Amino acid sequence: MSGHPGGPATAAPGTRTRPSRRLVRTVTVVASCLAVLAAAVVVGVRALGQEPTVTLLANWTGDDEKDFREAVLEPFERKYHIRVDYQGSNAESQVLGADVEAGTPPDVVVLTGPGELADYARQKHLLPLEDLVDPKDFGTSWAMPLADGHVYWFPLKADLKSIVWYPAGVGEEQRAQAARQPAEWCVGMGSGATSGWPGTDWIEDILLQRYGPKVYGDWARGRLPWRSQQVKAAWTAWRGLVGAGGDPALVRRALKTPYDAASQPVTARPRGCTLEHQASFIRGQRAWQQADGRYAPSAQLLAGTAANQAWEVSGDLVALLHATPAAEKLIRHLASADAQRAWSAKESGFSVHTDVRPAPGDAGPDWRRSLARTLRDARETHCFDASDAMPPAVRDAFAEATIEFLAHPDHLDTLLRSLDTLSGTQGLTWLPSVCDGAPDQPSGLSPAPMPG
Amino acid sequence: MTTGRGTTPAPGGGGTTPGPAHRAAVPPGAGAQPATPSPQHPHPHPRTRPADRRPPGRTHRRLARLLDRLPGAGPLPEAGGSTTARDLAVRRRLLLALSALLTLSLFVSYQGVHGDANALRTSSAPAVLSLDTALYALGQAQRDAGAPAPTSDFQKQISVAAQSLSAAAADDDIGGSGGRQALQTITGLITVYAVKVQQSQLQPNGSVLREAYLSYATSILTEKGSGIQDRLKTLQRQQRAAVHRQTSFGPPLWLSWTVTLLLALALGAALLETQLFLRHRFRRRYNRQLLAAFALSAAGVVTTVLFTVWTQQGMTDTRQLLDRPLPGRLIPDAGRDTASYLAHTGFRASAAVWILIGGVLLMALAETGLRRHIDEYRFRPR
Repeated sequence: MSGHPGGPATAAPGTRTRPSRRLVRTVTVVASCLAVLAAAVVVGVRALGQEPTVTLLANWTGDDEKDFREAVLEPFERKYHIRVDYQGSNAESQVLGADVEAGTPPDVVVLTGPGELADYARQKHLLPLEDLVDPKDFGTSWAMPLADGHVYWFPLKADLKSIVWYPAGVGEEQRAQAARQPAEWCVGMGSGATSGWPGTDWIEDILLQRYGPKVYGDWARGRLPWRSQQVKAAWTAWRGLVGAGGDPALVRRALKTPYDAASQPVTARPRGCTLEHQASFIRGQRAWQQADGRYAPSAQLLAGTAANQAWEVSGDLVALLHATPAAEKLIRHLASADAQRAWSAKESGFSVHTDVRPAPGDAGPDWRRSLARTLRDARETHCFDASDAMPPAVRDAFAEATIEFLAHPDHLDTLLRSLDTLSGTQGLTWLPSVCDGAPDQPSGLSPAPMPG
Repeated sequence: MTTGRGTTPAPGGGGTTPGPAHRAAVPPGAGAQPATPSPQHPHPHPRTRPADRRPPGRTHRRLARLLDRLPGAGPLPEAGGSTTARDLAVRRRLLLALSALLTLSLFVSYQGVHGDANALRTSSAPAVLSLDTALYALGQAQRDAGAPAPTSDFQKQISVAAQSLSAAAADDDIGGSGGRQALQTITGLITVYAVKVQQSQLQPNGSVLREAYLSYATSILTEKGSGIQDRLKTLQRQQRAAVHRQTSFGPPLWLSWTVTLLLALALGAALLETQLFLRHRFRRRYNRQLLAAFALSAAGVVTTVLFTVWTQQGMTDTRQLLDRPLPGRLIPDAGRDTASYLAHTGFRASAAVWILIGGVLLMALAETGLRRHIDEYRFRPR
């Protein structure tokens, strides 16, 4: 009870404080809301800033890497807000091996060798892809289930290898004459860590065109010795074609020239070389663009036959090593017709996706349409690059052997003996099949039991 | 009726009798502070000099008007009514708000500099030096690779490069998973490079195979864009950019420190004004808690500013040192210099928690400094 009769002195402050308290409460609530909102914004911005990433290891560098980023990776990053940490290296196998051993493999890898992938699959480093990719999109030759019933890879791009490039305007007779002169062949064996692989392509294709897919398949699957008459003849034929052990200047040029610079003499005046036995992707090099390069089936020039018995092909195969949501999205993207079409449009290679068929009215040069048709023609026999299909240790020794053979062809017996010894090593993973459509082999590479 | 400034506080006894809190605050015989009002003697300061008797200065009046407009100040008392309770409440809220804001602002500003100093000292600067070392060692290895016979120097340089990359890879801030993947790729390439050099050295001197293997090795090392050296330089650019980000005292930091210093000035002024206010209104010459709060805030701000200046100076020196390419023989010296520039930054960074503790203490001092006066003027609403 107030001691003041009228009570205003005591009552008034009490009543006056109510709006004041309400104001304080309002201000407090608003300030708290603002603080929470600010904190949420900060957390949200940080969360957005830390976009998911996926690591990708492949072998493309230089212009190929640039094209791949522009055509395939950047659209993916924009669409899914996932950053792709791409590493490209021609020492991809060595880098991948070290990463896997260290327990820090990339999420996704693009390798050229099904033999190496089969080895990783056997060691349980690869993850099945059937839930992410429809193998029917590529056909069983390219994305086949292994013995355990799982599909572990699919092709991102493919190339034809049984071809010889020449400048426009060089006639058939000129080509035949040039093929008999080692100096007319543009040869480059250099490729950094994987130097020597162009030599393996020569020997593989000579063997395939001269002896057919059965002999080729047996050899690539470790069932035909390196010292067999056929394989030895292929090496000897290559010696004659490129002049191994002959003119030192020519040998030096062949050994020291990087494979992607081998065609540069084509545009020199006078022309430094005329023919190049190289895969379809080499047409993207500036020299062949300037020379308006054309191709001929390699059998005409390597084996003296009218048509190829079969076509050697190669592929860049995508596999999954670490299944994160971001990596799975990237796998789906790489297997999509849109990504394959975009990559194919860059002319760095060809897609074998069933939905990326070249239409008759498609723009593009004849040679490109013709190559694409050959690559997809079900009536033709396609054999995977034998060295890529071999176990990695044999593949690498094969490449080294071609380098040494080019300088010292007299070492052939020693080299082949070493390769036979290595191939006989226990525990190597050999693919059961490397050719499709071959009469004595199952279609595709898969149905046989998984080796190892 | 109460019209005096010291409207009777009565926490437990209505509006006419001093309550227990008041009684406890006023020593017996010392006179009421505020004294019990009465119609005859409305002013509650029988012994002390009532503030009402001293006309407030112009500045004080302006400040008072400003304070009146603050949120939470409540409505002005009726004409002739006492404003002391309201003035105390306003000052309490102001001091608490300023203390909280200053604490927050100082913490954010301090962390803005010292948080990066830690990362610079433990991650970015060592990573830059590791990459410098690796590049230098590979350059030396390339020189030794052309030797007629295998040399131990080549192996040593390869080992130095590999170890440097391992050290860089141990850095959590090397560029995320992409950076680590890049380092692993480079490490793999160095192994391949060493193998190719060894292959060349196994061939007879002057042979074509020796030239060939050496050319493969050189391309692995020097190829444009994808060679080891270019990859290392790319990583180095990224790390130097990280050092720049961490060491720059950019506009956000200038803004936060400006706000912090303004808040510190405002708090200091508010504490002094409150001290003067209390001195005018009450008999005590000094409020020890408010003086302690003033000293604490001044010492805290001065200390943190000094720590920040020292750390920022060390970071700037580090950036200038790492910005230029370092010749191999200077890299160890640069490592030592960097360590000395950034010495004690860890200790100074860990002092950030004391800002929060100091802030709580500051608010507690402000609260306790005014609480007893506020309690004396607390009204119980009818």
